[in-house]
Amino acid sequence: MSKRPSQVSLSLVVSTNRRDVTDVELAQGLAAGEAWAMGVTWHRFAPMVLTMAERSLGSRSDAEDLAQDVFLSLLRKAKTLREPEKLRSFVYSFAVFALKSELRRRKLRGWLSILTPEALLELGHRSLDVESRDLLRRFYTLLDRLSARDRLVFSLKELESMTIEEIAEVMDISVSTVKRSLAHALARLSRWIAADPGLADVFDTRRWQR
Amino acid sequence: MTRHDEPTDFRALNALTKLARDTVERPSAAQLDRGLNLIFATVHQGRRAKVVRFSLVALFVAACAMIGLQLTSFLRARTPEPAALAYRVEGGSVLAGGYLHDSGDGGVRLFFNEGTKVNLMPGARGRVRSLDKEGTRVVIDQGTASFDVARSKERRWLVEAGPFSVAVKGTFFTVSWDPPSEHFELRLQHGSVIVSGPIASGDIELRAGQRLVVNLPKSETLITEDHANGPAASSSRLPPTTPSDGASAVSPLTPRQATAADAAETSPSSPGPISSSANKVERKPSWAEHLAHGRWDRILEEVESRGIDTTLQTATSEELFAVADAARYRRRTDLARSALLAQRQRFPGSARSVDALFLLGRVEESRDRARAISWYDEYLERAASGGYAAEALGRKMVLTNELKGRALARPIAEEYLRHFPKGSYAGAARTLRGEP
Repeated sequence: MSKRPSQVSLSLVVSTNRRDVTDVELAQGLAAGEAWAMGVTWHRFAPMVLTMAERSLGSRSDAEDLAQDVFLSLLRKAKTLREPEKLRSFVYSFAVFALKSELRRRKLRGWLSILTPEALLELGHRSLDVESRDLLRRFYTLLDRLSARDRLVFSLKELESMTIEEIAEVMDISVSTVKRSLAHALARLSRWIAADPGLADVFDTRRWQR
Repeated sequence: MTRHDEPTDFRALNALTKLARDTVERPSAAQLDRGLNLIFATVHQGRRAKVVRFSLVALFVAACAMIGLQLTSFLRARTPEPAALAYRVEGGSVLAGGYLHDSGDGGVRLFFNEGTKVNLMPGARGRVRSLDKEGTRVVIDQGTASFDVARSKERRWLVEAGPFSVAVKGTFFTVSWDPPSEHFELRLQHGSVIVSGPIASGDIELRAGQRLVVNLPKSETLITEDHANGPAASSSRLPPTTPSDGASAVSPLTPRQATAADAAETSPSSPGPISSSANKVERKPSWAEHLAHGRWDRILEEVESRGIDTTLQTATSEELFAVADAARYRRRTDLARSALLAQRQRFPGSARSVDALFLLGRVEESRDRARAISWYDEYLERAASGGYAAEALGRKMVLTNELKGRALARPIAEEYLRHFPKGSYAGAARTLRGEP
């Protein structure tokens, strides 16, 4: 009896031996539509995009979708990159633009949908205790109340540790606007946390100061 | 303000921020590979979608083209074609085969729906050989007929009279053909026609007011200016021309075409017939063009102006041939002979030089028939299968019979019948051979 070969799903394997490729060469490879360039670009910048998106959105699946959009857009518009040495900034700009658009969509969706922001919480793989998971759910619920710009500025500053100037550059807004937006976000979040008895009680126990 | 000095709400915010930051792990290699595969799959799908879109567009364009073609053919089918030609007959009737029968003594008149009028004079016999949307072909078997042909770009008119055919471009003319005497005559009032037939110089284009008379037995071609209100037409009989032989159906018609083609090639670089006007911007028509349009006198005038000797010494091969033709038609035998001899002398290796041998024979017939025979012999020796071979052999046979008697002419007649059994001299050859 002949043995029927089992069906194995095929996946594209991209060599990771191109670690030494510079951003300039990478940008030129992308512009030329070379497959290896897309692979290297993905492995070089996708972790940054994925983690930034997941922290900002509070959802791994949404972050993965956003990363797909970012890199497909990058592939389409690689030829428009005039300064190949700024590929990293180029990717950041795409990612930030995509994040901003997603946050706006969410805001709109929140107004139009019966889905609550809490239902969208789907954070990473690290095993969290129930208390921490509840804290994060409450935190992202508060973030969802911020405007898209304030939330993005807050995320980039507090979660991604970017400087005010870097935020201003990738968001294509002025430094003062970033500062104003950040102050606004911090003030509102602090106020909302103080107003949330569950959150205030938790932190009054000085648990987080251990 | 440091984070530790911040109030509870800020400390809480910092703590929550730290929790959110630390909770998110760096994506695993498997997660990255999965994401990359997804991107490549999307790109591939996008390309496929692009191909599908392109195919759909191509399909759409092809469908539009098909519809366009169908529409065009539909509209073309609806576009009215030229009305079918028809005619009515007065003074007679049409018999089987299109033969026109004269019912009285006033001739037969045809009125075509396109406006053309044909009038067969009393005693004339003719027929409408073909009639379709492309044109009409009328044959005059005998007698005289006048034609008033309406000009049309879509239809072609052709009149056949004996061995002659007249291509009509929209004109008014009268044509006569007398089979017993083999006499052809065409008088052109308006427009222009091209006459083809056993004429040595090939097709002749006649202008308004010209009259062409061809006497085949005497090998005479007469072209005169036939002005109705002018002085008497210059109807002097021209030197015998060279009726072509039926067996060499191709060659008799080619000289004019070849001459015209040569003219187009050589005239711009060749010295003009009048050197004093060579610096004019407007290009003067070449003599070959004058010849093609029947302007014989114009050629001869320009030769006189340039000087005969100068012309004979400086003219091109093509011009010498045109001068020879014009001179023959205008009975300037000496000038024709001189031009042909100059052709022989100055361009000994050319095809025209060989043809000149035959034409010298034709010119010489009116003066020295023995010499004419020798020219024919020389031509036949040089071009046994040339365009004028049948003609040369036929003329040699006739002249030999006239000069040396039937006995010597008979072998030539037999040779003629062997090579050209359907030639125009076949009848004469059979008579010489003693056949009924």
